[in-house]
Amino acid sequence: MMHALLPFFQWADQTWLGNVIRGSRLYFPVIETFHLFALTLLFGAVLIMNLRLCGLVMRSQPVTQVERDLRPWTLWSLTVILASGFMLFLSEAMKCYASEPFRFKMLFLFSAIAFHFTIYRYVVKRDQFNQLLSKLVAMISVTLWLGVGLGGRAIGFL
Amino acid sequence: MQEVPAIIHWLQVSDIGTGIRESIWLFPIVETTHVLALSLSVGVLVWFDFRLLGLSMRHQPISQVHKQIMPFALIGFVLMFVTGILLFWSEAEKCYVSGFFRLKVLALVLAGVNAMIFEFTTKRSIEDWDKAPLPPRRVQIAGLMSLITWTLVIGAGRATAYNLF
Repeated sequence: MMHALLPFFQWADQTWLGNVIRGSRLYFPVIETFHLFALTLLFGAVLIMNLRLCGLVMRSQPVTQVERDLRPWTLWSLTVILASGFMLFLSEAMKCYASEPFRFKMLFLFSAIAFHFTIYRYVVKRDQFNQLLSKLVAMISVTLWLGVGLGGRAIGFL
Repeated sequence: MQEVPAIIHWLQVSDIGTGIRESIWLFPIVETTHVLALSLSVGVLVWFDFRLLGLSMRHQPISQVHKQIMPFALIGFVLMFVTGILLFWSEAEKCYVSGFFRLKVLALVLAGVNAMIFEFTTKRSIEDWDKAPLPPRRVQIAGLMSLITWTLVIGAGRATAYNLF
């Protein structure tokens, strides 16, 4: 399956933006730092939301209220993460092509996003949702996002 | 390599330091735990700071947000501190000479001082502004200082690994 995507990786590797980032010592670290800030924000928001779903924090606040409070920041940080992540990817697309952790990360990332905007969204928009199912959904959400983080960190190591 | 104090060199060449540095798995595992613990602690702490700045959860009492978020932030801090010590141990000489690492330590100390001032003085009058959507200026400043110092800690920490200067 990766083989079919080779032209995409080759294209990404040769983009103007990829070349610009690769050509500078400074751009990659700076973009990477923004990537890190945004993921801290997102992970914190997801964690608080999931702890609420498990009934461990902010019990006095309805789930939907917590969701409304966190949503704008969650969406903004996700936007920054995806934009900065895509730029980092362009600058080393061929390295990513060969990287096992990168595949792992993308698998978890696409699953996490798909889950987040479907089942997860359905659950956090309801106040009287089944508690057991809420906990299960929270657990899946944390696992998926944690997988993204682990895979991401591992790209630099393996 | 720049001259470093004897203790820094001793840490660098100690069994534990060398063991972590040269292990295929240990260094990445400790480093990954450090980063994940960071997103746990600072990730939830920023939401408290946002509350102090009136940017989020405005209708929740500040004391409530504090009580609920801090246990998780503390678990993250402990993990981050322990793994941070181990990372420093394994790369003591590199860290010692790094300008970014020094900036990180400075920012860390400032973050600590800011938190202490908030906990032990600012918070004494919490009854007056607990339920305020936007608390008084000095409370907002505590939140802003926390955001700035932790941003510096993360930025300088990430930059330490790049050896730019």
